[in-house]
Amino acid sequence: MIGNLPYIVVGLLFTYGLFAVIFERNLIKIAVGITVLESAVNLLLIVYGYRSGGNIPVFTLAGEGSSFVLPTPQALTLTAIVIGLATSALLLSIIMVLYRHYGTLDVREIRRLRG
Amino acid sequence: MCTTVMTGYGFWNVFSWLTFFVLITALILWFRSQGRSDYKEDSLQDEIFYGGNPVPSDGAEITVPASSAYWGFKKALHGFYTLLDSWHSGIATDYVAWFVFTVAIFALLLVF
Amino acid sequence: MSWTNHLPALVVAVPLFGAFGAPLVSLGGRVARNVWFLFFAAFSAFLSLLLWQHVVLSGTMVYVMGGSAWNIPLPSGMSLPVRILLEVDSFGALLALIGGICAFAGALFSLKFMEKFTGLDKYTALYLLLLSGMQGMVLTGDLFNLFVFIEIASVASFGLVVFWRDRPEAVEAGFKYMVVSTVGVMFILLAVAFLYGRYNVVNMAALGANLQYGLPEKVALIFLVVALAMKCGSVPMHMWTPDAYAEAPAAVTCLLVAVSQASLYALFRICFSVYGLSMGSSAVAWAIIVLGCLSMFVGVSMAVIQKEIKRLMAYHSVSQVGYILLGLGVGLLALGNPQEMNAYGMTAIKGGIYHLFNYAMYKPLLFLCAGALFYAAKSRNLNSLGGLARKMPYTTVLFLLAAAAIAGLPPFNGYVSKLLIYESSFAVHPILPVIAMVTSMLTLASFVKVFQTAFLGPEKEALSQVREVPQSMILGMGLLALVILGLSLFPSWSLDHLITPAAEALVDKASYVGAVLGGGF
Repeated sequence: MIGNLPYIVVGLLFTYGLFAVIFERNLIKIAVGITVLESAVNLLLIVYGYRSGGNIPVFTLAGEGSSFVLPTPQALTLTAIVIGLATSALLLSIIMVLYRHYGTLDVREIRRLRG
Repeated sequence: MCTTVMTGYGFWNVFSWLTFFVLITALILWFRSQGRSDYKEDSLQDEIFYGGNPVPSDGAEITVPASSAYWGFKKALHGFYTLLDSWHSGIATDYVAWFVFTVAIFALLLVF
Repeated sequence: MSWTNHLPALVVAVPLFGAFGAPLVSLGGRVARNVWFLFFAAFSAFLSLLLWQHVVLSGTMVYVMGGSAWNIPLPSGMSLPVRILLEVDSFGALLALIGGICAFAGALFSLKFMEKFTGLDKYTALYLLLLSGMQGMVLTGDLFNLFVFIEIASVASFGLVVFWRDRPEAVEAGFKYMVVSTVGVMFILLAVAFLYGRYNVVNMAALGANLQYGLPEKVALIFLVVALAMKCGSVPMHMWTPDAYAEAPAAVTCLLVAVSQASLYALFRICFSVYGLSMGSSAVAWAIIVLGCLSMFVGVSMAVIQKEIKRLMAYHSVSQVGYILLGLGVGLLALGNPQEMNAYGMTAIKGGIYHLFNYAMYKPLLFLCAGALFYAAKSRNLNSLGGLARKMPYTTVLFLLAAAAIAGLPPFNGYVSKLLIYESSFAVHPILPVIAMVTSMLTLASFVKVFQTAFLGPEKEALSQVREVPQSMILGMGLLALVILGLSLFPSWSLDHLITPAAEALVDKASYVGAVLGGGF
């Protein structure tokens, strides 16, 4: 059961992020919710690479350890973190421009395009 | 022939259709050219009838605007369109809620 | 080792290089930037044509990024697939070709369309980046690489949708698009993480070979299908589509349509080649068919009542994607059963793919015509347009061509692909072609409305200064119209040489997997 703890944490974080995106009104909180979603998925990728008792997957330490954690999900996660960074940056700058135009950060007020 | 598409149940040939179209168009144009003998072009017979009033010079006053096209269709399906308008509320977070709702429905159908 | 072996990587790398060089070259002035832009769009289109030719002649191409072998032989004798692959079969090559044509037409159009605006070096860079991301999406053989290219294309398109950022509606549209798209893409990454956790590979061919349909795979499939259906704009996740397509500049919408087709490609690659027959029951196929029918009907119902021309066309986008989902869902339904496949399955898949190609040709043309109207008459509201056929004859004829194609009127290409979809879906259940035909009728109704209010009617005084749009814009639209005419007049050639190889490559999971794993799976 304790071995499942990382996955439970990922599930909770993902649900929390999703709730924040769906039920929050403030635009900045929605952006934070998206960031939490990204963190949850990145955490899941890292957790899948863990091998119990493994060492860090660095080639020059090969002589010392007998088993490594997998390096591939670490590479995947780094890519995903960078992508998340770019997306958050763009999202926050769009929110700034949106505030300048509409004067409000309430997502229920920003509804000129509907129907 | 390189222009015939055989579907499983029938076929479609572009050039037969085009030939048919050209022939019928020629026939229609011939019918149209059989006018009345008392028609004079560019006389009073060519004027727009605007209920006896002077025809406005600006075309914008005699066009039917696009918003009133299909108003009967929209009125007849009023309940359906009210429902659809409530779906397309314009609120960004509702869009994400629809997405998660679809994932939930799929999960219910496919996993159980 | 001839250079044609590097074509898959070139098709992705050339627009990427153009994108990063654009701000530098723009320092040399307007002409330098326009020449760079047009050259790279044309060269990318040409490379995708060469790639398509090569793949159709020589079979599926596998390109290993940065190395010689795609695998590492382990001491136990097993081969672990480790490198990033680009795997191009006829279906992917066809989509790369579509992307190249749409991008070139949009680039020609935006030379004059955007000339009054500033920041065009960033526009060029983002446009070429979007093209590169899209080509990467359809050429990749690796699920995580698919996620990365989807994100590249998405972020480039966010920037382009918000391009006219002094317009509040554009920024609002970009925000809504961004929120829904980012959440969807996170679901895709979650699905990729599940599959990686189970099988330790993200390579699509290796996954296809080893997949066993348990609970995590079902959940991953659900996430992937729903998120990719969201990216291409199917109901009920389509609400970002009208906003984003309407507020983006017309040439960008032209390319956004092609990008949504790339998401459809990814959806069908996953359903047919990664999961394929291991799906067991037909639940997924029926779910896709239901999504298709909903998209068709809701999309066109919302389209009929719109007042703004690009928003109306974007709702039609939603409904046309429904047709493609219907066709390919019926094909997926028939996948396991060779008798049914012969009777209606292959026709459905061919109809779906042909409709994909047709849609990616006439829809960008429609958006470019709307852009031409916006350029000439400065308005997108149908209430203020009218009587423009006298002043803009070329735009009128091109619009008529595209509207007849989308409404499925003979003799155009839209009719042929819809015929294939009607006939094959009738074999599954009679109600499916009924919904499709009602949609077709409502499509015709809304385009009659647009044509009547924008082009026909008396001349308006407010629009007396309107003139025909510049030559380069007509050329861009004319390119797409030429392809539509070619597809309409030679339907069986297009079916036999363009669509059937793609349909067979899609259905043949064994050859997709075997091209990478070498038949030893």
